[in-house]
Amino acid sequence: MLETHDLCVEYDGAVALQSLNIRVDPGEIYCLLGANGAGKTTLINAFLGFVEPATGSVHVNGLDVSRYPLESKQGAAYIPEQVMLYSVLSGIENLDYFAALATGRRLPKARLMALLVQAGLSEEAASRRISTYSKGMRQKVGIAIALAKGAKALLLDEPTSGLDPSAANEFSLLLRQAASRGVAILTTTHDLFHAKQTGTRIGIMRKGHLLVEFDSVAVSHEELEAAYLEHMRVMQ
Amino acid sequence: MIGLIARRELLEFIRDRRLFWAGGIILLLLAIALLVGWQQQRTLNAERAAAQQLDYDDWVSQAERHPHDAAHQGMHVFKPEAPLAVVDPGITPYVGSTQWLQAHRQADLKFVPAQDATGLQRFGNLSVAWVLQVLGPLLVIVLGFNAFAAEREQGTLRQLMSIGVTPQRLLLGKALALSVALALLLVPAAVVIAFVSLSGLEAGLQYDTLMRLLVLFAGYAIYLSIFIFLTLAVSGRTSTSRIALMALMAVWITGVILAPRAISDLADRWYPTPSRVEFNNSMDQELSKTYADAWQASFGVSTRWGADLPLNRWGEALQVDDQAGYLVADRHFAELWGAFDKQRQLQEWSGLVFPVLALRSFSMGIAGSDFSAHRDFSLAAEQQRRLMQDLISHDLIHHADVLDHQHFTYKADSTLWKQIPPFDYRLPTMEAVLPANIRSLGILSLALLVSFVLALASVPRRA
Ligand SMILES: Nc1ncnc2c1ncn2[C@@H]1O[C@H](COP(=O)(O)OP(=O)(O)OP(=O)(O)O)[C@@H](O)[C@H]1O
Ligand SMILES: [Mg+2]
Repeated sequence: MLETHDLCVEYDGAVALQSLNIRVDPGEIYCLLGANGAGKTTLINAFLGFVEPATGSVHVNGLDVSRYPLESKQGAAYIPEQVMLYSVLSGIENLDYFAALATGRRLPKARLMALLVQAGLSEEAASRRISTYSKGMRQKVGIAIALAKGAKALLLDEPTSGLDPSAANEFSLLLRQAASRGVAILTTTHDLFHAKQTGTRIGIMRKGHLLVEFDSVAVSHEELEAAYLEHMRVMQ
Repeated sequence: MIGLIARRELLEFIRDRRLFWAGGIILLLLAIALLVGWQQQRTLNAERAAAQQLDYDDWVSQAERHPHDAAHQGMHVFKPEAPLAVVDPGITPYVGSTQWLQAHRQADLKFVPAQDATGLQRFGNLSVAWVLQVLGPLLVIVLGFNAFAAEREQGTLRQLMSIGVTPQRLLLGKALALSVALALLLVPAAVVIAFVSLSGLEAGLQYDTLMRLLVLFAGYAIYLSIFIFLTLAVSGRTSTSRIALMALMAVWITGVILAPRAISDLADRWYPTPSRVEFNNSMDQELSKTYADAWQASFGVSTRWGADLPLNRWGEALQVDDQAGYLVADRHFAELWGAFDKQRQLQEWSGLVFPVLALRSFSMGIAGSDFSAHRDFSLAAEQQRRLMQDLISHDLIHHADVLDHQHFTYKADSTLWKQIPPFDYRLPTMEAVLPANIRSLGILSLALLVSFVLALASVPRRA
């Protein structure tokens, strides 16, 4: 579960998030929309403890991030737009390393391979060096790391931007599988269609505020688009 | 977790072939330096031992002659090279290894500007110590400059922090990786160095040399660890690998190449040592006054070796003359050694900022190739000279003075020559030199602590 209470974040006095209240329950896929600079990445950083709240609080699986920086990270996995891995290591070696660091124990090779396959990577690709990977393949390693951790919360920052449609679809499928296992997922995106397709809930941010939230089954694509444009227009 | 981090880091050193190339060059240079040192030492020691024996044989087998003539011709003593000069020749190349023990005069020192001869002179003498002191830090830098910077550039730092790896653990893991990488290269090298320097030594000396080697290696381990933390500190504070590398190269050039030179010049200026001519002049001045006083007091004459003193007192006069001079010479030499010691101390303390200075002092001290070692030999040689002079004066008093104006007809034979024992110089033991080198070891340890704290303070806390 991911949750903030009246969260404010400032960068050197400039307000990036203002009294933000958001809650993502287990099994939910929360899609966050908003223009560049709206504060989406900042919110994710707050969940990861990379930025400190000026006021308010941030909770991951019920743990206050400020008070339990290490413990709260154990229950969460983070997948940025570009999953950052060691290029001289293979996919399976990267997974081995990060999974061992995250869980404190090393997994057997067969288990690692099974996780990568589950994340959609072929066995042949898993043994190649990361330097030969495409963006989508890196993301699959990121998913495998999250799977290895058994994370109860996923934080994704524009995970599908730059992926081709079939890769993006594949990725959405993986997210839905994770959600069906009770994982709370927060993902940012600029893609309304993807948000409607994948998300169970959709939020629109602007200038550090969470403006509206929709239930994705209850809202039509046209309604979502109209609302998004409306909020963007008000901003300008 | 620290082990895991170190393991990955090592894998990277191996995969990008940095360990292979950088380490290979260092090992090659170490091998060449060791070979050169070993060869030099082997020939030198053999030559010196032979020369020492030959010289003494000549002394003992000389024909019957007036003892003071024999004393004027004197004898030579040869400094045995410390076994670990193979590793660190120290000041050996800049000081004489022979002393002439003759009547009336203490052998003077072959002066060098300061305890160390840095810069170009040192480049001319490739030694194991030089490779480790100067190129060792460079190896650390090449392996570690991008330890944090690359993680930042690759974005993996963010990934690591998102899974809850603390910066402190990352630092320790990386430090461990660098240590293991260095150990992989240098421990086998140390074994070879130990083997080479211990081979051919007598058992007692072998044990002492082994102890010295262990202490020496500990000093070098501390020194390289300082650079590990320093490198990680710089890497942690810089935003890109390129900047990290440039900053570290600047640190290396200033700290390892330029600073020693500057500090040694400074030490020379603060605690100046006289030139050989100045030293001799000032000692001679005082000596002539002292001699005159002694002659006046003992014989009531003001000119030495003049017609005023009857020949039946010349043996006694020699004794009086020598004894009066000993004290003056002792004081002048003590002053000189004192100045060298002050210079050394200044250099050691500078080791807090420029560890190479403390290490260099420590290394040649433990290796037995520093100024203290040279002083020890010089004092022993002077002891031998005085023994010779005193025995001869004593002999003259008893056999020549009694002949009155026939004093110079006296001729001694091998019974007197044999009374002078062969010069039997033993190198000081490890226990004897350790106390003088504890300070530099302490300074190195302190510098290690400082670099560790610096690294801790420099680890990136935010991705
Ligand atoms: N490290 C930082 N220092 C100062 N200001 C920052 C920093 N990071 C973000 N900001 C500012 O905070 C605001 C929110 O930025 P943020 O990156 O969260 O937006 P975003 O919604 O993720 O935008 P995008 O869609 O471009 O990724 C912006 O005004 C940005 O300029
Ligand atoms: Mg963003």
